[in-house]
Amino acid sequence: MEIRREQLLIDPEKCTGCGRCLMACAMQHCGSVNPSLARIKILPLPSHEIHVPVICMACEDAPCIKVCPMNARLRQANKTVVTNADVCIGCRACVYICPVGAPAIIPYTCQTMTCDLCEGDPAGLWCVTACDEGALTISKSDRLTSDKTRARARLARLDTKPV
Amino acid sequence: MKIVIIGNGIAGNKVAFSLRERDKQSDICILSAEAYPEYDPCSLPYFLGGEVARKDLFRKKSVDYQQHGIELLPSNKAVSIDPDAKKVTTGQGAEIGYDKLVLAHGGDLFFPPIEGIRSEGVFNCKQLSETEKLKAHKGRRAVVIGSGAIGIEVAEALKKMGYEVFIVELLGWILPTLFDETTARRLEAALDGYGIQVFTGEKVLRIQGDPKVTAVLTDRREIPCDTVVVATGVVPGTGLAKTAGIETGRGIKVNKKMETSVPDIYACGDCVETFDACTDETAMFQLKHNAIEQAEIVARNILGENASYLGAYAFARTHFFATHAVTFGKTMRATECLLGKSELIERENGKDYLRVVLLNGRVIGGQAIGRYADAAGLLIGAMWRKDDMDRLRSNWRQLPSSGAVSFWPAISLAQLLDPNNRL
Repeated sequence: MEIRREQLLIDPEKCTGCGRCLMACAMQHCGSVNPSLARIKILPLPSHEIHVPVICMACEDAPCIKVCPMNARLRQANKTVVTNADVCIGCRACVYICPVGAPAIIPYTCQTMTCDLCEGDPAGLWCVTACDEGALTISKSDRLTSDKTRARARLARLDTKPV
Repeated sequence: MKIVIIGNGIAGNKVAFSLRERDKQSDICILSAEAYPEYDPCSLPYFLGGEVARKDLFRKKSVDYQQHGIELLPSNKAVSIDPDAKKVTTGQGAEIGYDKLVLAHGGDLFFPPIEGIRSEGVFNCKQLSETEKLKAHKGRRAVVIGSGAIGIEVAEALKKMGYEVFIVELLGWILPTLFDETTARRLEAALDGYGIQVFTGEKVLRIQGDPKVTAVLTDRREIPCDTVVVATGVVPGTGLAKTAGIETGRGIKVNKKMETSVPDIYACGDCVETFDACTDETAMFQLKHNAIEQAEIVARNILGENASYLGAYAFARTHFFATHAVTFGKTMRATECLLGKSELIERENGKDYLRVVLLNGRVIGGQAIGRYADAAGLLIGAMWRKDDMDRLRSNWRQLPSSGAVSFWPAISLAQLLDPNNRL
């Protein structure tokens, strides 16, 4: 199974809800520090005193791609899934089917938008740079418990304990 | 191996291109009743309303088929199947042999038996050719018969085109299979606010005018109009399957590997009768995401994998102008005939409305309008996993906030269901 090269990791325990990542995200994509143009949402959970940065995780078998009536949700080369603004009609099917409700809505056009990992920006991921608390980090996939590492672990076990 | 696919819709194409991705050798042939490469029928109402260009309707171009070595035979409607000789006969009289056959020809528009339904000025929005006729038609007053998802979308599109629009629904409320009455009445009020008049619980008796439509006569009133759009639903196409002696119910019957009762014939998409992923009962959800998933299973099974379908699920959204609504799983009405303790959770905040249906403490369906809809995914997840909501509602405050990566969706969900919580 093919896996993403990079994955954005969130840590709600470290997030203070300051919103610097929102501004960085909006700046990178729209050239304005308007948090409502960010592709990240911050969900406050006051009962547990945490803030959760909600970001598109680009599911392997992404349901938003299947339900979009306009086929506007496209898988990109870097494995992220983005909305094609040329055809998106703003029906929000992708928001509703998303397990975490990640797609954000552009207030002017009502279309949706999701994280594209800054699409290979040489400056890196703006939200990760902006986050002083370390709530947002970028991980190379080999650090994740992906299918590949599980498979490797299984092989390692077989090596040490021959059947 | 020669694989013949009947139907050039979403399911048919998904089968063809999934097969080609995994297997470069086989001959793949698609028989299409229509003259175009694959387009998306879900987008047709938006094409009608002018929100998308004609070119954006197409998911594939003719060259895509050539590049992938897939033979597309347009305007070739399959009329019969001979499973013993392994041959398909088309309307043109051609005979095509196959090793594996896939039925993905979808459904046919249901025309209710109303006098005058074939008159000039009566359209539908099921196929591109029909939609283009409707788009080219110049009219001022339109009646939409049927208020399913397509009916509502067409009504919105016609309104945007400058028509005066009326919707006539036979059942008690609009979107009757998708929404419960309370939710539907709110949507109805919203439609009314946008200037689309809705008449529910009315039966269309006759479409008047010969040859051109002049009015629609219902059991309560006469609505003068020059355009009628039939949006009364789609029935699965089972006629072709019957020629091969394939077992059919409401749709073509298939097992979990999407095989029909006849060997080497598979079926997927709108033409099959399938089962609900969450309740296991026989169900028909003629929705895009189910077609795509079924097609993937067909492709994998043809190539010898042992893939099993997890079941279909209801998920639909409707939006018109600035009103957004979503529905998933079962409605309260459909739950009433089930055994067990059913519970209804309702929340409202101005125009926003949430309705969650629980059965024995598990989410089995829900509907939402406005801001509550954004959290629909959390509820759908809980439905899939069959999470115990009673337990969650009693212990969510004690859920640990450390390691919250795995708990925050549960906490968020519990807050959504808690009527004391402001959202």
